Amino acid sequence: MIQITDLEKFYKTEEVQTIALNKLSFNVKEGEFVAIMGPSGCGKSTLLNILGLLDDPDGGSFMFNGTEVAGYNERKRSELRKHNIGFVFQSFNLIDELTVFENVELPLIYTGVKPAERKKQVEAVLEKMQIMHRRNHFPQQLSGGQQQRVAVARAVVNNPKLILADEPTGNLDSTNGNEVMDLLIDLNEAGTTIIMVTHSEHDAKYSHRIIRMLDGQKVTENILA
Amino acid sequence: MLKNYFKIAFRNLIKNKVYSFINISGLAVGMAATIMIGLWVTDELNFNNHFENKETIAQIFQSQTINNTIGTGPAIPRPLEFALRQDHKDNFKHIVMSSWEQPRYLKFGETNIYRTGNAMQEGATDMLDLDIIAGVKDGLKEKHSIMLSESAAHALFGNDTALGKIVKVNNEDDLVVTAIYKDIPANNSFSDMKYIIPWKHYITTQDWIEWSKESWGNNSFQLFVQINANTTMDVVNSKISDVKKNASSETAQFNPQLFLLPMKDWYLRSEFENGVQSGGRIENVWLFGIIGLFILLLACINFVNLSTARSEKRATEVGIRKSIGSQRSQLIFQFLSESFLIVFLSFIVALGLVLLFLNGFNNLASKAIVFPWTSLQFWLIALVFVIITAFLAGSYPALYLSSFNPVTVLKGTFKSGRYSSLPRKILVVAQFTVSVALIIGTLVVMNQIQFSKDRPVGYDKEGLIQIPVMSNEFIGKKDIMRNQFIASGGALEMTGTSGPMTNVWSNRSGYTWDGKPEGFQEDLAYTSVSYEFVETLGLKVLEGRGFSRAFASDSNAVLLNETAVKYMNIKNPIGKYIRDSDTEDQNPPLKIVGVVEDMIIQSPYSPVKQAMYVFDSEDNTAFYNVRLNPEKSTSENLALIETVFKKNFPNTPFDYQFVDEEYGAKFKSEERVASLARVFTALAIFISCLGLFGLASFVAEQRTKEIGVRKVLGASISQLWLLLSKDFITLVIIALLIASPLAYYIMGQWLQKFSYRTTVSWDVFAIACFGALIITLITVSFQAVKAATSNPVKSLRTE
Repeated sequence: MIQITDLEKFYKTEEVQTIALNKLSFNVKEGEFVAIMGPSGCGKSTLLNILGLLDDPDGGSFMFNGTEVAGYNERKRSELRKHNIGFVFQSFNLIDELTVFENVELPLIYTGVKPAERKKQVEAVLEKMQIMHRRNHFPQQLSGGQQQRVAVARAVVNNPKLILADEPTGNLDSTNGNEVMDLLIDLNEAGTTIIMVTHSEHDAKYSHRIIRMLDGQKVTENILA
Repeated sequence: MLKNYFKIAFRNLIKNKVYSFINISGLAVGMAATIMIGLWVTDELNFNNHFENKETIAQIFQSQTINNTIGTGPAIPRPLEFALRQDHKDNFKHIVMSSWEQPRYLKFGETNIYRTGNAMQEGATDMLDLDIIAGVKDGLKEKHSIMLSESAAHALFGNDTALGKIVKVNNEDDLVVTAIYKDIPANNSFSDMKYIIPWKHYITTQDWIEWSKESWGNNSFQLFVQINANTTMDVVNSKISDVKKNASSETAQFNPQLFLLPMKDWYLRSEFENGVQSGGRIENVWLFGIIGLFILLLACINFVNLSTARSEKRATEVGIRKSIGSQRSQLIFQFLSESFLIVFLSFIVALGLVLLFLNGFNNLASKAIVFPWTSLQFWLIALVFVIITAFLAGSYPALYLSSFNPVTVLKGTFKSGRYSSLPRKILVVAQFTVSVALIIGTLVVMNQIQFSKDRPVGYDKEGLIQIPVMSNEFIGKKDIMRNQFIASGGALEMTGTSGPMTNVWSNRSGYTWDGKPEGFQEDLAYTSVSYEFVETLGLKVLEGRGFSRAFASDSNAVLLNETAVKYMNIKNPIGKYIRDSDTEDQNPPLKIVGVVEDMIIQSPYSPVKQAMYVFDSEDNTAFYNVRLNPEKSTSENLALIETVFKKNFPNTPFDYQFVDEEYGAKFKSEERVASLARVFTALAIFISCLGLFGLASFVAEQRTKEIGVRKVLGASISQLWLLLSKDFITLVIIALLIASPLAYYIMGQWLQKFSYRTTVSWDVFAIACFGALIITLITVSFQAVKAATSNPVKSLRTE
């Protein structure tokens, strides 16, 4: 599903140039659950942003489902993103002014789904995430665990092929964290590819493969299952 | 999608009440001001829209060159009518001679009313497309007829039939009512024309009118025309421009050039400078149009500043939406729809404000503007106005907010850059530049009015009334009336004049005097006056004396004002003679018996015109000027004078004007400009301060932690206040530096149009600068002090 070859990303300030990704290469097959680990500043989040088509690489190749997407413009990227990729963030990133239902509905609005169909799909996913009873609440009225459930619901409502999770349990206690990981496992078992950046060895063990990074490069790769 | 956008926008509005209030109230005030100015501008531009034939109606103007200066005006001589009818009639559908609009007494039975009207030729009814509601359209055909407006007919006859009834005009002429026409609505020329009498009757009412039939030099009438559909004003102009010059060798020396002033220019573009159309009220239309636009821009700047200042709060949302798949264009659309919602809400509030203040505005602007509820055009323009305002206010924030990089904002590390507040600072400077320039401009206008009001008028205008006595019944009664007025105790003195003391009704040329330079073309303001002229008006005699009953020869005497002596270059004028070059044989020469101080009779902003006050030996009195008795109250004096007046003229209503009020009316136009400017300046300051208040509270909020740390480290409240206020004060000082020279230049140009003018003095700038700084300090100090006095523990806990 994903093939990256010699991927490079630099950050430049007035005086120094920092290498965030240094000729990084690896593949992810459809249906895989890959965890990416490494110390802060090793390039994990940069990688995730490029995989999520939120950022552009400075060099190398990024093939998504057999198509080179590294040079895509913003319009093409957002088109590809909204149909294929869901995001789960450490800090949930829900829109405060929208209710649970409206937050989850948002990706369907952008993909042009009709209102009646949207309602059906949102309710289905809220049921699945066991958050239906909170559908009319605003994010600030929910606990961290509930907020992350909503975020996961929003990420999956479009049935994306790929979910990118950036430390999804980072802001949660262990009980809520485990619940979120269980949700991701369920999604993965249902066929969704998941790439998760994490600091947690515990969470990483849920994955099929752990890629460890240092200074923008892959250092090890452990297959768990 | 749109629903989602509006939902978020609405919830944001509710959530951030202070910002919403600042945005909506600022925009509403700005929009209300713009709507009112828009209504006023429309009203001005629609002047004369009532007339069906407005595109083809014109008035004949003439430019004449006197001593290398071209003067332009609508007064024309009678023979012009005959020349146009004889040689150029193919160009015109109507040629209509007219008198000047003049008030007359109209009497039926015991009812006596005083109304203004004109004497006009028959074509007037068709040319002006008068709406005849009773009687015949050719109601001016018969010499002894009169056409009345509906309101005049109602005032005279109540609900009875007016047609066929006889109206006594000025207690002299019996005229039969032949037609009633609908009153011409306000905001149109001729709206004060409450009756029309036939021209053929008018020319027989006074000898001088009859005599002027062949005089090309007597410019005492008006001529309106309607050109034929198959021609244009320019074509007609080219044909008629030299008609007078070619017809009369007597006036050819002044190079008279005739031209048509189209009806659309009568109200807005009727001023001429040295023969060239130079504007008129259109300048005020432009001025207030621009002020309206600026006020709207100020309100939009608030929106831009507050939206971008608070961008960090919206950054996450932008990041999320982008990560979910929103394109930038969709985000731009979202933010624009938010600004549309806010602008729309502001528009609703603005409409409320307009309805609330329209009456006050009408009073201020001397208008009778009605809110155009039923005008589809108004609502369409309003829609465009809302959309344009939404774009003005929302475009930059939409482009700015939608440009955020989702990676940065979602990482939570987003902070506005070092220079991100620069555009805001520039906009604040722009706001205060406009506000300060408006303050300076308003102060200069007010100073100019005061300066001109303080100008010595040359006579004592307080306690002086003028009684119009233009009908023939007053002829020969002047001395009797004077004696009786004085005897009544209501008056100290009285003099008769052929024109009011606040205007020049006649200008003359064609004189000779010893030492007159070769080729000199004089242009003298002419008023005939009676005995006690000097005494009644309180004039200062600089040389010689006033007219005196002790000198029989004063029947052929003249007084000159000091400007006339200089203008005519007469050395030692007393005892010298001025001769009428045309009628030297008939009219005896006029002996100069005195030189009086200049009196301001025309514009208080212009130099005093050279004037001659000729002794009135033929009783051409148009006004009794009565000096009231200062020992008694005005009401007592007026009652006594009225009693005398009524005893002598029982059928004539007692009408009078206070000369000082008439003089004060000369400032009306500028005072109106000043009043409007004051209001709009206040609004501009209010809007700018509202924005500043919003920004100050934003900055205070943003720096909460810093303030807490500084307090913990020992900063005093005044140090913190200074810290938070100095940035804004700096911006306002920059605005002052930009606005001051700008306003100095613009107001300097504005003052150029007045010959008698004040200077743009330093105290105006001092007041404006001091005022702007004080207002700024008060505005920002509220937030600064609030932040500085807050509990540092609380503010540090917010982290």
